[in-house]
Amino acid sequence: MENESPILVVDDDPSILETVSEVLEFEGYPVATATNGREGLDAVERVQPRLVLLDMRMPVLDGWGFARVLKERGIKLPILVMTAAQDARSWAQEIGAAGFIAKPFDLTDLLSAVESVPLS
Amino acid sequence: MAVLFASAALVILLSVLGRLGILRPHPAITIVNVAAILLMAHMLLRLMDDFTYVPTWVMRSAEVILALFILATVFLTPSPPAILPSWLTITLIIYLILVLIYTTVGFIRASQKASGVTRRRMRAVAVGSIWLAVTFLISGFGSRLFPHLAGLWTAFGHLAGLGSSLGYYVGFATPGILRRAWQEPELRAFLGRAARLPRLPTTEAILREMEVGAATSVGAPNASIGLWDETAQVLRFTVNGEPLEWRLEDGTISGQAFTTQQALFTDDLQRDQPAYAGIARARGVKALLVAPITAGDKRLGVLAVYAPRAPIFADEDLEIVQLLADQAAVILESRALIDEAARVRAREEVTRLKDDFLSAAAHDLKTPLTTLVGQSQLLERRALRDPAAPADLGGIQKIVREAQRLRTLVLELLDASRAEQGKLVAEREQVDLTAIVRDVCARHISHRHVCELETRESVVGMYDPTRIQQLIDNLVENAVKYSPEGGEVRVNVWREDGWNHLTVSDQGIGIPSNDLPHIFERFHRASNVDDRRFAGMGLGLFICKGIVEEHGGRITAASGLGQGSTFHVTLPAQVEAHAGGNHSPDGK
Repeated sequence: MENESPILVVDDDPSILETVSEVLEFEGYPVATATNGREGLDAVERVQPRLVLLDMRMPVLDGWGFARVLKERGIKLPILVMTAAQDARSWAQEIGAAGFIAKPFDLTDLLSAVESVPLS
Repeated sequence: MAVLFASAALVILLSVLGRLGILRPHPAITIVNVAAILLMAHMLLRLMDDFTYVPTWVMRSAEVILALFILATVFLTPSPPAILPSWLTITLIIYLILVLIYTTVGFIRASQKASGVTRRRMRAVAVGSIWLAVTFLISGFGSRLFPHLAGLWTAFGHLAGLGSSLGYYVGFATPGILRRAWQEPELRAFLGRAARLPRLPTTEAILREMEVGAATSVGAPNASIGLWDETAQVLRFTVNGEPLEWRLEDGTISGQAFTTQQALFTDDLQRDQPAYAGIARARGVKALLVAPITAGDKRLGVLAVYAPRAPIFADEDLEIVQLLADQAAVILESRALIDEAARVRAREEVTRLKDDFLSAAAHDLKTPLTTLVGQSQLLERRALRDPAAPADLGGIQKIVREAQRLRTLVLELLDASRAEQGKLVAEREQVDLTAIVRDVCARHISHRHVCELETRESVVGMYDPTRIQQLIDNLVENAVKYSPEGGEVRVNVWREDGWNHLTVSDQGIGIPSNDLPHIFERFHRASNVDDRRFAGMGLGLFICKGIVEEHGGRITAASGLGQGSTFHVTLPAQVEAHAGGNHSPDGK
């Protein structure tokens, strides 16, 4: 079932990664994680997520790089930018994301953002 | 000067009239002739004194000799035939030649100290004098020694006389056109340099260069620019490295030129500025040319060119000084614009740094805050869903951990502000650097990074243990953080010449050379640090520097892009002074 495909969380900060995935799992979403853009790309190939929660500033391959490679590979995947930076909105537009979640976010913010993305 | 030319004219006139037979030899004429010739020599000395300096004893001797010769002429000339005895003539000629050689040497020496047009004028005078000496030599001795060549001597004498008059004319009464031509090279050189003057490091340097340029252009020994200070209502000069202030009501020529906005000239400062005659005399200044420096309707100051002697200047020089003053106005205005632009840039830079700092600080605070909020809400939801469930210890631990992380960040911000006030270091006690490094290293070892301590023996000093721990922790943490590909972090501790040394080296991304001088500045982050990859506020090294300097030490960094970095801390060892004191663990 399509509903079974997980939400991929990509963030270099382990505690954020952990918290976000715990919240999502608690709400019943299957979750996959990655700590940078490159790992994220591997995970996309492996688990075929239905949505990516993407941090922008990361080592090895950042959010911009991740989005660019996805585009090059022709993979259409809804992305929610997840950042503490002021420029969350413009960064989300830059990479053609479906939306953004500004850190520090509330649980409800996170869940409503996830729910707002239509299932493909 | 007029007397010199008049006596010369008289001597020539008498000789021509005598030769034509219009004037019969007569004692009175002979006396007038001798007097005129002597007066010429005397006037030459006076002129030389005007341009440079003739010792008083020389002037006095010349006066005595003048009187003696006239007396000798009056009493010793037989009448008839009313011709000087030949020994007297020869003595007279030798004396004149000596005076002329003296003035020639004097003017040549003075010309070496002078510049521009004045230098050239002095050389012309020297040429005039030497030719006059030749004239006397020929007319005095030529016919006497080689009578058969009389015609030739006469011709030579006329030629030399002509050369001498030309030299004197050009030197003493320089025609305007020649003056301009002689001033031109210096003027051109100064104007050529003008464009780069506003870029000199300080306004002082610009003023000094402009003063030198103005002085050489006019051919005067000195020039001075007085800048108008609107607040204090004074013209500020720097003369010989010392500040000098004129108020406008002091009645100085410079003040007048500034008030009336007109170029002014005086050839006697003591007469025209009597209130300050003493100062003028003390500084050896007699003549002054001064022009207002004005840009549009902005009165900036005055340019004063001065000389110890009056005949250095001509009236036309006023125009040149005004031209130089106008140029100075342009240069000073450009400088003001450059300064203003730099001030604006500096202000913008400070604002930018603050903005960067705020957003970096906010970013760093947001991450732990996100986890805190998320975990506590999760805890709440779990409790709501199943009130009977046991406490979620894992979640609570995460909340505690993130709260700690937040605390660290806030403390770092506070430390940065303490470092600014020099209030980082508190109580000192005996601290073993090696032991601290061992602890810190152990904490930073990971599967990617090796932290190698190269020392075993303890290296102790009296330090604030918390701050020293923070310092070492920060340096090792940086070494790990900026070696994203992993690698070895080497720490070395040793004592040498009363100082304790600590180095932390890594094999990481390094620091670009243009960032190296700034890395210890608050909020500065090296240009190769992509803040998307390396979180941080740019405060760590600023705090490190504060800690080291408050301990009386120094911290330096050596690095190159992609070549890793080495931080070197030097702290005073000073353990002997405190060893065995109350702070020492086994000193009780």
